[in-house]
Amino acid sequence: MSLFVENGAPVIVQGMTGHQGMTHTERMLKAGTHIVGGVNPRKAGTTVSFAQGREPSVDIPVYADCAAARQATGATASVIFVPPRFAKSAMLEAIDAGISLIVVITEGIPVFDTAYCVAKAAERGVRIIGPNCPGLMTLSDPEDAQSKGTNLGIIPDGIVGHGPLGLISKSGTLTYQLMGELSDIGFTACIGIGGDPIVGTTLLEALQTFNDDPHTKACVLIGEIGGDAEQQAALWAHEHMSKPIVAYIAGFTAPEGKQMGHAGAIVSGHRGTAQAKKETLESVGIRVGHTPGETANIMREVLKTQKLI
Amino acid sequence: MDLYEYQARELLQEEGIAVPKAIFAQNSHEVAQAAQEIGYPCMIKGQVKIGHRGQAGGIKMAKDLDSAILTSEQILPMSIHGHKCSGVLVAEAKNIIHEYYVSISLDRDSRDFDVLATAHGGTEVEDIAKSHPEAVKRLHISALEDFDITAATDMAKAIGFYHADVDQAAEILLKMWRVFTKNDATLVEINPLAKIGDPEDESSKSLSALDAKISLDDNAAFRHDGWKRFADPIRVDPFEQQAREHGLHYVHLNGQVGVIGNGAGLVMSSLDAVSGAGEQQGSEVKPANFLDIGGGASADVMSKSLSIVLSDPQVVSVLVNVYGGITSCKQVAEGIVLALNEIISPKPVVVRFDGNEAAEGLQILSQSGNPRIHVAKTMEEAAHTAARLAAQQSTTVSLAGREGL
Repeated sequence: MSLFVENGAPVIVQGMTGHQGMTHTERMLKAGTHIVGGVNPRKAGTTVSFAQGREPSVDIPVYADCAAARQATGATASVIFVPPRFAKSAMLEAIDAGISLIVVITEGIPVFDTAYCVAKAAERGVRIIGPNCPGLMTLSDPEDAQSKGTNLGIIPDGIVGHGPLGLISKSGTLTYQLMGELSDIGFTACIGIGGDPIVGTTLLEALQTFNDDPHTKACVLIGEIGGDAEQQAALWAHEHMSKPIVAYIAGFTAPEGKQMGHAGAIVSGHRGTAQAKKETLESVGIRVGHTPGETANIMREVLKTQKLI
Repeated sequence: MDLYEYQARELLQEEGIAVPKAIFAQNSHEVAQAAQEIGYPCMIKGQVKIGHRGQAGGIKMAKDLDSAILTSEQILPMSIHGHKCSGVLVAEAKNIIHEYYVSISLDRDSRDFDVLATAHGGTEVEDIAKSHPEAVKRLHISALEDFDITAATDMAKAIGFYHADVDQAAEILLKMWRVFTKNDATLVEINPLAKIGDPEDESSKSLSALDAKISLDDNAAFRHDGWKRFADPIRVDPFEQQAREHGLHYVHLNGQVGVIGNGAGLVMSSLDAVSGAGEQQGSEVKPANFLDIGGGASADVMSKSLSIVLSDPQVVSVLVNVYGGITSCKQVAEGIVLALNEIISPKPVVVRFDGNEAAEGLQILSQSGNPRIHVAKTMEEAAHTAARLAAQQSTTVSLAGREGL
């Protein structure tokens, strides 16, 4: 069983030796992620020791580039923490090395660079998650000895355990908020797709993956102002989705023409408003909560009435 | 970042796209000089970053020096759809034979670039799309392909340029694409792209960009020297300015509750919760700002953020909503206490912590013994408390004001 990423997939971290990279590699290791290498041309050949607060510590080798890292370790996934100006070459390097899943945490990447890399990835059959996202977390199923949780990115470990829900979000902290609200139910996986105008995995594509996953019984969808990814996901779900969805949309009070933190969170003219998203979602029978708390309550109610828990 | 018309023209000119002669002026003295140089009749165009300027009276023709000065004195102090005029562009008036619309923009849905064009230019494209949907053509440029003169010529034909204009239009399309890519733009729009000249004399006719709108990708500012040359000539919001200097995402709004949180989504959600609470309580209290401290903020960043929000006279109460992922609630708590020790202000601060080091953070708040700090368990409760305190406080202030009379 795998959801977005193979169980126990070997993972490399691009930008591991930087401050963010170090902090989060430590946390990902703690969460059980199978990290096999880091990439930094200036520190190639060295190893970095992660104590994890217990003995023995883990030594992670640093490679000159993705190709060398992949050859030495067989890594199939990469998490990118490099600064915005180096992100394009980091993504292209991973694509060229044959990495099949690239999670880009970096915020502030020029949209031209992202557009180019996303098109390149599509051409090669590579999945990019992000950029400007908290990443992906899959939860291990206690009843399945084969299942191993993987944490690719910065979603804090320990908020939730395994359960029947899938979560898809444009926002980082709202992901944690809803995970916290629904920690009594639990999740198969939580994916933050990112808040940029162009992302590698859309709301719709993430929904498709959850729809195909036998362990996911229902989906939480967290959207925000900007673009119309939510509407597209809603229309697709109406035709194809066999599982219930409950949604939350942030940004009803956002003024027109102002970027609300995320590069993609902007209402342009009459396009991209929270109200329009809510209306489309509701028109296809997807209930939308006013607050994260209400959204969680609706989800519990839906699970009960449809006898999914 | 959106550019003013006079700034957008600069970028078009740099790629050799023909534009009418024009001079930017900020007072009637400068307008007089500019008009004398441009000649008559000339156009006086208010510079605001919003559409429908013409209908709002922001664009007028002047036939001589006196009318140029008079017109500019009407337009310069104007606010158009809430946007203050930064100045006027004094431009040559052209004899328009026909108007096209052409734009290149980032397409979020197809994740490539959109070329949108119509032979019915002149008004806003949304209006054209409504009245002549069949006349608006949409073509794509892939993020991987090279857009060259052959592709541009094919496109000019497909878009519906009249036969005589195709070659020139193809050149302009290619130049627009260069403006778009070289400047990390998300929109380059020419409307109208006008055919100008003497209707009787074929050789005098040419295409000219009479108006332009350009938006740039803020994320790419680092490779364009921070776009210093496009700095706003009029005073920007002092709170937005301060926040930007500290690298914070801040948007000033109209309400009474200052909102601070970590992560853009959670802050937007907090704004909605405050508005919702205001509605439910019947006070119509609204958020005063959006402020995202980002991920992993230090006590210092939190303290700066709270200081900026508290210094806004519009703010009556503050909501701090933090779900600690990378961010430590302990750091945030220290920042709150630090700011409140430095600033003498009666404004209450409602705090909601969850996640990373929430308990430690709450302990720091309670140890501070500061009566202005109110703690809430959930974000909904926090929003309700902040809205209620803002409404009460506003009433007290206005009552005190009345008693003073």
